Amino acid sequence: MIETFYMAWRYLAFHKLKTFILVTSVGLIVYLPIGLRVLVDQSSRQLTARAQATPLVIGAKGSQLELVLNTLYFRSDYPEIQRYQESIRVSDSRLAIPLYVRFHSQGHPIVGTTLEYFDFRALKVRSGRLPAVIGECVLGARVAAALQAQVGDDVISSPENLFDLAGVYPLKMRISGILEFSDSPDDDAIFVDLKTTWIIEGLGHGHQDLTAPEAASGILAREEDRIVANASVVQYSEITQDNMDSFHFHGDLLDYPITAVIAVPHDQKSAAILQGRYLSSEGGAQIVRPSRVMEELLDTVLTVQNFVMAGAIVVGLATLATVTLVFLLSLRLRRREMETLFKIGGGRLNVAAVMASEMVAVLVLGTVLAGGLTLLTSQLGSLVIRTLVRM
Amino acid sequence: MMPNQVKKRLELWAALAIIGFLTACQQAVSPEAGDPQKQQASTAKLQIYVVNYPLQYFAQRIGGDQVRVEFPVPSGLDPAFFSPSPEIVSAYQGADLILLNGAGYAEWVSRATLPGSKLVNTSQPFQDEYILEDAVTHSHGPEGDHSHGQIAFTTWLDFTLALKQARQVFQALATARPEGETIWRQRFEDLERDLLELDSTLNRAVTDTRPILGSHPVYQYLARRYQINLRSVHFEPGEYPDERSWRELKQLLEQHPAKWMLWEDQPLETTVATLQQLGVQSLVFDPCGNTPQQGDFLDVMRSNVNGLRKVFGQDSSH
Repeated sequence: MIETFYMAWRYLAFHKLKTFILVTSVGLIVYLPIGLRVLVDQSSRQLTARAQATPLVIGAKGSQLELVLNTLYFRSDYPEIQRYQESIRVSDSRLAIPLYVRFHSQGHPIVGTTLEYFDFRALKVRSGRLPAVIGECVLGARVAAALQAQVGDDVISSPENLFDLAGVYPLKMRISGILEFSDSPDDDAIFVDLKTTWIIEGLGHGHQDLTAPEAASGILAREEDRIVANASVVQYSEITQDNMDSFHFHGDLLDYPITAVIAVPHDQKSAAILQGRYLSSEGGAQIVRPSRVMEELLDTVLTVQNFVMAGAIVVGLATLATVTLVFLLSLRLRRREMETLFKIGGGRLNVAAVMASEMVAVLVLGTVLAGGLTLLTSQLGSLVIRTLVRM
Repeated sequence: MMPNQVKKRLELWAALAIIGFLTACQQAVSPEAGDPQKQQASTAKLQIYVVNYPLQYFAQRIGGDQVRVEFPVPSGLDPAFFSPSPEIVSAYQGADLILLNGAGYAEWVSRATLPGSKLVNTSQPFQDEYILEDAVTHSHGPEGDHSHGQIAFTTWLDFTLALKQARQVFQALATARPEGETIWRQRFEDLERDLLELDSTLNRAVTDTRPILGSHPVYQYLARRYQINLRSVHFEPGEYPDERSWRELKQLLEQHPAKWMLWEDQPLETTVATLQQLGVQSLVFDPCGNTPQQGDFLDVMRSNVNGLRKVFGQDSSH
C-alpha cells in the first residue's frame, strides 16, 4: 500500500505544473460554494448583530428600511422627521433614546443623541470625555483617525446645500473626546448632544445681548419691554464658554425634530404594550423591529446567493468533468509507462491502484487547499466586507 | 493495608470536596453573596448632585449617611445663575441622581448634556402653580417675538411647595434604592413636620396686608402663599442704587407705602441709611439658595420667619 502511494506521489511531484493546475482547480471548485456561504453568513451576522441588539425603533411613517439604516448604520437619506415629543411619550416606562441623524461633517454623519446612547451601545471613551455641553462632540475611532483629530481640536458641520445661503449655518464644534474602537458603525460617526443638532439646524442660536449698549446698532425698534432687531445682529457660529449663556431655543422643545427613537423595553410585556400603541393606522409614527427588517433584506440577498451557489455548483461539476477527462486522457498518454510497469512485474490491480492514488491525492490536496482558503475567509472575510461596505 | 501517602491524599481530596460542597450551598442560599459587584452596588452610597442648597439639605436630611450629596457651586455665588465648567458638568453626568429645582432655575441645565434617566425635576408636580413674570421680549428674523424668561424660581420659599419638592426627593431616592425606603420615609416625615411648622408659623405671623418691599424679585412664592402685599425693585445688597433706582423707588412708595424692605443679604450701610430717610427699614430674608455661612436651611428659614413676625408685630399701623 505504501509503495502504491509512493509511486503516485513521485509521479505527481515530477509533473509539478500539471499537479498544481489540477489541485488548484479542485480546490477552487470545492472552495467556491463553501467560501461564498461563509462570506454571506458573516455578512448576515454582522448586519443582523446590530439589528438584534436594538429592540425597537420608532420613527415617522414611511420606509422601514430607510428608518433602520439611518438609525442603526447612519446611512441613507434621513427619514421623515418626527417630533421630540415622541421620545418623551415612549420614555414613561422604558429607556427611550432619541436620535437626530441628518447632518454631516466632511462626509461623516453627525449623530445627535443623549448620554444613554453610549451606555446602550457600551461605547467607552479612549481619550477625553463625553460631551458635557452644547457645541462639544465626541468622535468615533475611525473618524478621529481619518481626520487626524485629537481632543481639543474642532470639527465643522457641513452645510446641507451650498446654494442655500440662508439655510443651515456651519457650526464649529470642540472635540471633547474620542471613543474606543468598537468595530461598529459608531466608529464612523461624530456624536453630539441632541440640542447641538438643533443649533446646527438653526432652531437654537446665540447672539449678542440685545439689551446691552453695544448691540444698539442691531436694534430696529424698542418699545418698553419689546425689542425688534435687524439682520445685522451677530449670531454665533461657535459655542464657547464666553457666549454659551446666550444660546437659547425658540418655541416648545417637544416640537423639535428627531429622526428616530430607540426604545429599550424593560421586559416582553412592556415591549408588547409599546408595540400595541402603534398598531393603529392613525398617527404619524410607526414602530419597527430592526432584526425583522434586516432579515427581510437578507432574505433578498440570500435568494441571490442561491442563484450564485447554483451557478457555482454547475461550474464545479463541469470542472470536475474536465478534470476527469484530463485523467482519462493522461491514461492514454501513459500507455507505454503502464506497459513498462506490467513488464517489471506490476499487476493490473497494482497499476490501477497507483493511478487511483494519484487521483485521490489530487482530490485530497485540492480539498486541503479549499479548507485553507475557507479558514482564511472566516478570519479575514469580515474585514474585507467592512472595507467594501465603507467604500 | 493502604499506604500512608495514598491515605493522606484521599483525606485531602475528601476535605476539599466538603469545603467545595459547603461553598456551593452558601452560593445557592444567597446568590448575591458570590457577586461582588451586586454587593458593592447595594452598600455603596447613592451619589446625588443638586443645583441649589435647599435640595442639598432635603437630600441629605432624608438620605442620611446612605447618600453623598454634591453641590459644586462655590459659596457666595447665586446658584440660579451659576455657569459650570464642562468638567463640573462631567461630574454631574456620573451621579446616580441629579436633583433639579425646575421653574427655569439653573439655566445652564438647558445647555448641558445630562443623562435624562437620572434627572429629577423636583417641582414637576406643581408646574401649573409656577408664577410667570414680565420679561423683555425681542424679535429677529421671521420667527417673531420671543421672550427670554421668566418663571419665578424660588419655589421653596412657599413651604408647602418646598414640602412637595422634598417629597419628590424622597420618591427619587426610594426608586433608586428601594431597600432604603423605610428609613428614608421616617426621615422625610420628620422634615415634613418641620416644613409644615414653618408654614403654619408664617401663616399666623402675616396678619394683614401692609405693603412690603422686596429688594429683588425673588419673593414671589413667599408673597403668594402667605398673602404678603409685596412689590419688588432691583436693588443689590452689595451695591448702592443709582439715582434712577431711587427715583423709581420713591414713585413706587407713593402707591405702595411700605415700611420694610426684604433683602437677600445684608445691604450696605449707606443704602440702609438712605432707606431709613425714606421711612423704610431693612430686613434680611435670605432665600438660602446657596449654603449658609452658619446653620442649615431650617435655621435660616426660622430666622427669616422670626424676622417677618417682627415686621408684622412691630408696627401695628399701615
